[in-house]
Amino acid sequence: MKNKINLYLIEYAINSLLRQKLKNGFILVIFTLLISLLASIFFISNSIKYELNSTLKSLPEITIQKLKAGRHYDINVDIIDEIINIAGVEDAIPRVWGYYYFENSGVNFSIIGIDEFENQYKDSLKRIIKENDFSKNSNEDFMIVGSGVKKILDENYYKEYFNFIKPNGSFKQVNIAGVFDSSLQLEANDTILLPLKTALEIFDMEENMATDIVVKVSNPEEILTIASKIKLLYPDSRVITNKDIEMSYQNIFDYKGGIFLALFIVSIFTFFIIVYDKVSGLSSEEKKEIGILKALGWKIEDVLKEKFYESFIISFIAYVIGILSAMSFVYIFQAPLLSNIFTGYSMLKTSFELPFVLDFTTLFLVFFLSVPIYIAATIIPSWRSATIETDKVLR
Amino acid sequence: MILSPEVLTIIIINIIFLVFGTIAFILSLKIFFNWNINATSKKQYNLEKQSFLTATIIKYILFIKILLFIFFVFTLDKISNVLTGAMCAAGVIDATSYGIYLLLFKLINIYLFGFWLFIHKFDMNTKELKYTKLKFGFYLFIFILFISEIIIEITMFSSIDVDKLVSCCGTIYSNSSESYISSIFTLNQSLILIVFYSLFALLILFYFLKNDYLYLIGNLLFLIASIISLIIFFGTYIYELPSHHCPFCMLQKEYYYIGYFVYLTLFLGTFYGFAIGISNMLSQDKQKIKSYYKISMTFIIIYTLLVSYFPLFFYLKNGVFL
Amino acid sequence: MIKIKNLTKIYEVNKNNITTALNNINLEINEGELIILKGSSGSGKSTILSTIAGLSKPTSGEVIINNERISKLPDNFASIFRREHIGFIFQKYNLIPNISVKENILIPLIPQNPSSEVAEKLLINVMRKFKIEHKKDDIVKNLSGGEQQRVAIARSQINNPSIIIADEPTANLDKELSIHFIDILRELKQAGKTIIVATHDPLFFDLDFTDRLIEVSNGELLL
Repeated sequence: MKNKINLYLIEYAINSLLRQKLKNGFILVIFTLLISLLASIFFISNSIKYELNSTLKSLPEITIQKLKAGRHYDINVDIIDEIINIAGVEDAIPRVWGYYYFENSGVNFSIIGIDEFENQYKDSLKRIIKENDFSKNSNEDFMIVGSGVKKILDENYYKEYFNFIKPNGSFKQVNIAGVFDSSLQLEANDTILLPLKTALEIFDMEENMATDIVVKVSNPEEILTIASKIKLLYPDSRVITNKDIEMSYQNIFDYKGGIFLALFIVSIFTFFIIVYDKVSGLSSEEKKEIGILKALGWKIEDVLKEKFYESFIISFIAYVIGILSAMSFVYIFQAPLLSNIFTGYSMLKTSFELPFVLDFTTLFLVFFLSVPIYIAATIIPSWRSATIETDKVLR
Repeated sequence: MILSPEVLTIIIINIIFLVFGTIAFILSLKIFFNWNINATSKKQYNLEKQSFLTATIIKYILFIKILLFIFFVFTLDKISNVLTGAMCAAGVIDATSYGIYLLLFKLINIYLFGFWLFIHKFDMNTKELKYTKLKFGFYLFIFILFISEIIIEITMFSSIDVDKLVSCCGTIYSNSSESYISSIFTLNQSLILIVFYSLFALLILFYFLKNDYLYLIGNLLFLIASIISLIIFFGTYIYELPSHHCPFCMLQKEYYYIGYFVYLTLFLGTFYGFAIGISNMLSQDKQKIKSYYKISMTFIIIYTLLVSYFPLFFYLKNGVFL
Repeated sequence: MIKIKNLTKIYEVNKNNITTALNNINLEINEGELIILKGSSGSGKSTILSTIAGLSKPTSGEVIINNERISKLPDNFASIFRREHIGFIFQKYNLIPNISVKENILIPLIPQNPSSEVAEKLLINVMRKFKIEHKKDDIVKNLSGGEQQRVAIARSQINNPSIIIADEPTANLDKELSIHFIDILRELKQAGKTIIVATHDPLFFDLDFTDRLIEVSNGELLL
């Protein structure tokens, strides 16, 4: 059952392909483009997922939000004492955060209120607080902004300070005390850090309220149990675990990836038809060549094998070049235009670098969506050419 | 419904299989009912041409199917990340009632397609194309199972509910579970081991006797005994954990993908063992049959040595068994 | 020994377009004979050749070569028989122009996947015999007519077949090349090959080494 690979046949197949440089070159180029497009989308998606997962690691294990009429509402911080008493809870920290819509630029800033004396729920925040001394400016209202925010404010001539419009219509002037450059690039750009009191003021929230409460759990195995306990204690709250967030992100990515897959199917189908048509229409020259081969002793199976090698070589080369060009497009050129599909066309475009992520399943995936499909398209045309009635051709 | 790109890919390839498999089915019907090698009519000549198309399609399906199966296992593993409770492919299989049937169908179909290819090779080597009718009739049967597999696959993937809690392999493959798999564990561990090694010894005996039928049956029993003993006993030594019985986890990175070698050798060994039975039915080519014996026995020996290595190594390292 | 028994070939394009290419042909060709099939185009002589070579299946009747029922063999056996026993020489050579002489001659060997030593040996032998070894790496389209002719013949001989079939071999050649071809034919006959030539070139009609000249007309043999 095992025969050594017929190099002569492969060489013949390559020569045969080269004999029709124009037609085969055209197919190769188009196919390679399609594959690199598809592969690029998957690579970008994988990279963003990876980046997001790194973000998720710094997420709190449990987040508690108060729900009123099915909507997110301010939560009372008094419940913290009871939560801390639950076995396994390391800490419970209130968060004050929200969005501020800056009308002039049409963008949303993320606002996080910081209480320098309290525990921070994120390490990056801890660092920022250390670097920028919050206490020295405790008399005035000040803020520390992300680089993207600074840029927008500069554009709107807010160089030293900014005027927030409070919910009651009055202004609140806040000085820009510094700019931070968070290592987690997805967040840095649109974030403003304020002292807790200022944030509460801007959001018009009372002192003992918070946007949500994050719970730190030391043992990851206990997260689910503790989450359900909290839910029992406060039935009007929504309790989200970090696993929930992780899964929802994965689902969004798969969904988005799925859409492009659907689009890809359409193009592959079209390509299938083109290939079929091109390969089917045998010129009399091609027919003659096969007639000669058979007269010289080639079996139908040999002709089929040769045609298979031709298809495989073209589709596989397209696959390899497609993958390689996708890699350079995504990781060297950082995928202009395409990456916007995933991170949204926000004005404050995240300017982070796509990390290099190599996922074998993705390579397999792109393979299955390309090579077998191309070969399938050539099955019937190859068979037709291999079973030509030779005597007619040789006249 | 899980709409991951991997699942969509599998479904796309399945659709291609469906289309081409059906073409092959229709042609097989024509050939099965109308084939007459002695006829010199145009109809017969056309059938002869069409038999090449059918054979090509079936070869294509088998080749891609095997690759797809590996991809399928990878996909299950990936999906296990979004299913609550599932930590490896076993959980995903268990998430629906179809899972285990799908797996069985896939494996059986790979064997069947392989057998078809075998008969095909034989057929093409006869001057009268003796086995053509048989082979295409066989395909009619395979096609039914193949369609079933595709239907079950699509059904399974569409019915996976991301929110439903799923058992991890730890509970499925344990004495306490209620699944039918747990009935395996009611068997005595030592008994299974004795059966396994005895069958192995018998196979070696049959090998020297060169009795085709005994060897065939021996292979079948050996296959079943291997899977059971792998789950109950040998797996635990691969994982070095007496309660870890999952047959899927050994395919993962943590265990150096050893599972692939284990299953590959088992498959190849038994496949060639079955092939001997088929060869016996079709022709009496002693040369070919001898080589199949060799191949089959080699892989079976490798498999047995491979799985035996783990408990032995563990014992030598630790002085005790689990 | 080639035996053709009651060979009939009917082409049916559709119900109204039916051509009887061959009608109940009976012929026996002995080993080592040179047979010239004389007839105009459409007479059926090419069809006889392709049936002998197993390239065409008869509507009825059979072709038996050396006790092997060629007409009944399935494709792969017929192909193997063809490459081992039959050498085909075409009208217009039908070489692949953009590859070398060596690669062209190699083509019949490709499906057998011989080792490179065996292939090399066979190639050198046949190229030497037909005197084109010195051009072995040249691209065929750059060769003269005579050289291409020798490449085509070498290709047909690489498997050392016992039967040679030539269909209108001189139809596109000038007189000089035609005579040259006949010389090669003479050599092959002397080597004991069985040769069947289908042609309407008068040069073949009174050769001194022809065993039989058979006229073919309207699908029948005029003996």
